[in-house]
Amino acid sequence: MDLAKSVDENNVNINSKKILIMSKTSRPIIETKSLGKKVSVADGDLSILSSVDLTINKGESIAIVGASGSGKSTLLGLLAGLDSPSEGIIKLDGVDLTALDEDGRADIRNKLVGFVFQSFQLMQRLSALENVMLPLELRGDQQAKKTATDLLNRVGLGHRLGHTPMKLSGGEQQRVALARAFVTQPAILFADEPTGNLDSKTGEQIIELLFELNQEKNTTLVLVTHDKVLASRCQRSVQIEAGQLV
Amino acid sequence: MNRFKLALRLLKRDAYSGELTLLGLALIIAVTSSTAISLFADRMHRTMNAQAAEFLAADLVVTSSDLLPEDWIEKAEQLGLEQARTVEFSTVLINKDDLLLASVKAVSTGYPLRGQLKTKEQIGGELEVVQQEGPKAGKVWVDRRVLSALTLAIGDSLTVGEKAFKISQIISYEPDKRGDVYSLSPRVMMSDVDLKATKILQPGSRVRYFFQFSGEADAINRFNEWVKPLLLPSQRLMDVHEDRPELGNALSRAERYLGLSSILVILIAGVAIAMSSRRYSERHFNSTAILRCLGCQQNDILLIFLYQFFILGLVACSLGLLFGWLTQEALFHLLRSLLPAKVSAPSFIAVMLGFMTGIAILVGFSLPPLLRLKRVSPLRVLRRELEPVNSSGWLVYGLAIALISGLIFQYTNDLKLMLSIMGGGLVAVVISSWLLYAILLKSKTLLPRVGLSWRLGLQGVLREPKASVAQVLAFSITLLAMLISFTVRNDLLADWQQQIPEEAPNYFAINIFPHQLESFEHELNQHGVPLATFHPVVRGRLVGINDVPVQQIVSKDSQGERATHRDLSLTWADELPQDNKTIAGQWEATGKDDVSIESKLADSLGVSLGDRLTFSIGSEQIDVSVTHIRSVQWDTMKPNFYMVISEKTLKDFPTTYITSFYLSEKNKKRLNALVKKFPTMSVLEVEAMLQQIKTILGQLTAAINYLLYFALLAGLTVLLASIYSTLDHRISEGALMRTLGANRELLRKAHLVEFSIIGLMSGLIAVLMFQLVLFGLYTYVLNLDFYFNVKLIILVPLFSAICIVVAGFWGVREVVNKPPMYVLRDV
Repeated sequence: MDLAKSVDENNVNINSKKILIMSKTSRPIIETKSLGKKVSVADGDLSILSSVDLTINKGESIAIVGASGSGKSTLLGLLAGLDSPSEGIIKLDGVDLTALDEDGRADIRNKLVGFVFQSFQLMQRLSALENVMLPLELRGDQQAKKTATDLLNRVGLGHRLGHTPMKLSGGEQQRVALARAFVTQPAILFADEPTGNLDSKTGEQIIELLFELNQEKNTTLVLVTHDKVLASRCQRSVQIEAGQLV
Repeated sequence: MNRFKLALRLLKRDAYSGELTLLGLALIIAVTSSTAISLFADRMHRTMNAQAAEFLAADLVVTSSDLLPEDWIEKAEQLGLEQARTVEFSTVLINKDDLLLASVKAVSTGYPLRGQLKTKEQIGGELEVVQQEGPKAGKVWVDRRVLSALTLAIGDSLTVGEKAFKISQIISYEPDKRGDVYSLSPRVMMSDVDLKATKILQPGSRVRYFFQFSGEADAINRFNEWVKPLLLPSQRLMDVHEDRPELGNALSRAERYLGLSSILVILIAGVAIAMSSRRYSERHFNSTAILRCLGCQQNDILLIFLYQFFILGLVACSLGLLFGWLTQEALFHLLRSLLPAKVSAPSFIAVMLGFMTGIAILVGFSLPPLLRLKRVSPLRVLRRELEPVNSSGWLVYGLAIALISGLIFQYTNDLKLMLSIMGGGLVAVVISSWLLYAILLKSKTLLPRVGLSWRLGLQGVLREPKASVAQVLAFSITLLAMLISFTVRNDLLADWQQQIPEEAPNYFAINIFPHQLESFEHELNQHGVPLATFHPVVRGRLVGINDVPVQQIVSKDSQGERATHRDLSLTWADELPQDNKTIAGQWEATGKDDVSIESKLADSLGVSLGDRLTFSIGSEQIDVSVTHIRSVQWDTMKPNFYMVISEKTLKDFPTTYITSFYLSEKNKKRLNALVKKFPTMSVLEVEAMLQQIKTILGQLTAAINYLLYFALLAGLTVLLASIYSTLDHRISEGALMRTLGANRELLRKAHLVEFSIIGLMSGLIAVLMFQLVLFGLYTYVLNLDFYFNVKLIILVPLFSAICIVVAGFWGVREVVNKPPMYVLRDV
């Protein structure tokens, strides 16, 4: 009973937060100005990304499309604060990422961001449940186990809580990854080719689930893909070529 | 495509990309240290033996009461040996009213073959002259006691037999001066060309010849083997281990320590190589799967990697050989003040030993992970999680065990001992593995009850319990090896220091008559010498055992044979010296006709408790029965005896006394007065001998310290190899954790927990195994006293945890610093 109550309270909290966020929909949640990334190579600097100005509003779903090597993943990494840019500014929910150190960015990621990767990126030594609990535990959430179990039930893996990734199929692993991404109710979800490692049928199921959860949780979705069909399911698409938005 | 070419190309790529760095480094360090140790030990051994040879003034000495047969001398010439000869006999010297019993030594050209003579030109003079050979014809060199006893000075004439000589030098150092105190009357040295003119040597004279040989070790060994069966009872080969026990013991212990250290370093290096080749192999699963996909057969794969390892081994071992050579040169350079000017050159075998050991370690420790590559499934290109099965346990451990067994056998030369060491070691490893495994499985229940950082740390250890057990054991063995090396070194040094304390007796006084005892003791007290212990001495010869003449019992060239060819010093004592230990029976000082015999002599004579020994003392014979057998430490610089007989049996025979005492530098000058006051007494200075022993022990200590550093260096590679072997995994996991929002603090805490657990467990297992090993080692190999060290039980795990945490943090610093973007790149 106590558990149910606390979950209810949690939902209330979440809902009130949602309302708060909803009221800010007009405000951009991701903003970049003159974003650029260079890497050093043998004969000088190589520019992988340059002059990217992008604004993404709260609750929006946006696809970043482009060919291999066009700079999609680099842009995603910068937007999510996984890497720091060589030039320009990135703001996430009003916070300037470029002014933060790595631990500061980690904190923002934990509070605002969820991830889904092409290669799942589950912790091999942890069970499905432990993987989903991890981001909650990093926040110090006392209800981690309950919340994670609920979400794994929601993605249809309630019977495989104790299994490690090695014992799960690709589709199942990606479901665990989805559960992990949504478990913290992130404001923004970054997905990097989430179906790239899956067969088309499983891929479709995962995409369905992704969009369902996205709607349920009213998350801003940033999806990197080269799949035009998948991109068309988003509200907006931006094309990237040779490191520049076109 | 030519497989060798492909192997070469892959090797080049790996080398450029840094894949081979750790494996190569481990191998280079292994070969560097084993080469340096093997070269250093070999050269030290040769130098020390050369120095030990200095104590005999030659590499090999045959003593004889007569000249040697001509064909012996010819044989030595054939073998290219250098030769010299000394003749020693006693004679009474007279100057006006003064008489002195002196020991004359006539030396041939070439003497001393090893070591140097040192002389002074003034009594008490500081200036010491190094002499390359003995006195010229017509000249004598003398002990300063000859001058003081006979009131002579340099330049005076001294008559020996019928020939007058001019005294030209005072002997300050004679390399082959033996510690047999009774043979040491003051020395007079002359050239043997003058011997005939003295007319002292007549048929039947008591004289001892020392035929000295030196040359290549091989030639000396061949001569030794050849001459041994030909020796007559009156002839004997001298050996530094037997004739100078005070040095022999230190030498053989040091030799054992050097051997032990090199095995330990090789073992540690082996662990490092096993770890880094495992990582190498795991990092090549993917590329191997691709090669298999493209049509490479299993044997092609094996061949390609074997070629690579062969080339890598050749390059790394050659580099190691070079570094090893440089290292030992540097060591000798550092030690140059301690070492003799000429250090022996290393043998070719020693040079190659390091190289061969390197190749053997590479094969023994890295073949199993390589064989695993052969089993990589081509399906892995589709399913990355497919891992090849491990090589069979027998193969993985068999090669390494065989290698270590071989080394231990080479070191101990004792099959039974080697089997018991390996057997004991394996049992300990198996028991510890099971114990560890059980503890790890059990501690999984702790997981839900601890905080996140603790849980992540614990999970790091528990993720693959078997791999963790292997890692902990690898550290334990490394620590164990370092602990053994360190402790044995400390105890060895302490033992040596105890052997020759600061104020070890530097003088022996012999032939003190009973009526002189009191006044002599008084004199000593006046000279600041505290109460000395006087031991009674009755000279007697062992003639029979259980009524059988000893000549029929003792075997040729044995200790027993030597003991029966001369008068022994028999003594009595209320209490046996402290360093004597009872082996069998009981000693009753108040008994009658009892004898306590030294254990090694008892073995050599085949004497046991209850046997009856007959001694001839003067014109009488006594019969005594063996009631006590004891071990004696001969290297204490104090009087010690083969035979202790009941006081009631001996006390009526003519008795003299012997004592040893320490005279400080400033009191030495009063010695002459003392000698004058007690003219019948002989005082022997052993200062020079003490100094020589101290120098040798000092050199050994330095060498042993350096060997310890190698063990530490090798231990460090194990740490690094172990950290690197899991680094890839840690980096990707750390990046993922940070992607999910973990801060660096959390990761650091988790690492701290993980490394501390591994460190503490390794330390604990190491210290427990260590106590076991030490017990065996001390009791059966080094003959030192074993004691249980409680402090270590706490200190070692702590030390181990600190080392592993520090090295671990350094090794995984990339994990917390690498941008989490790494995860997106899917490495």
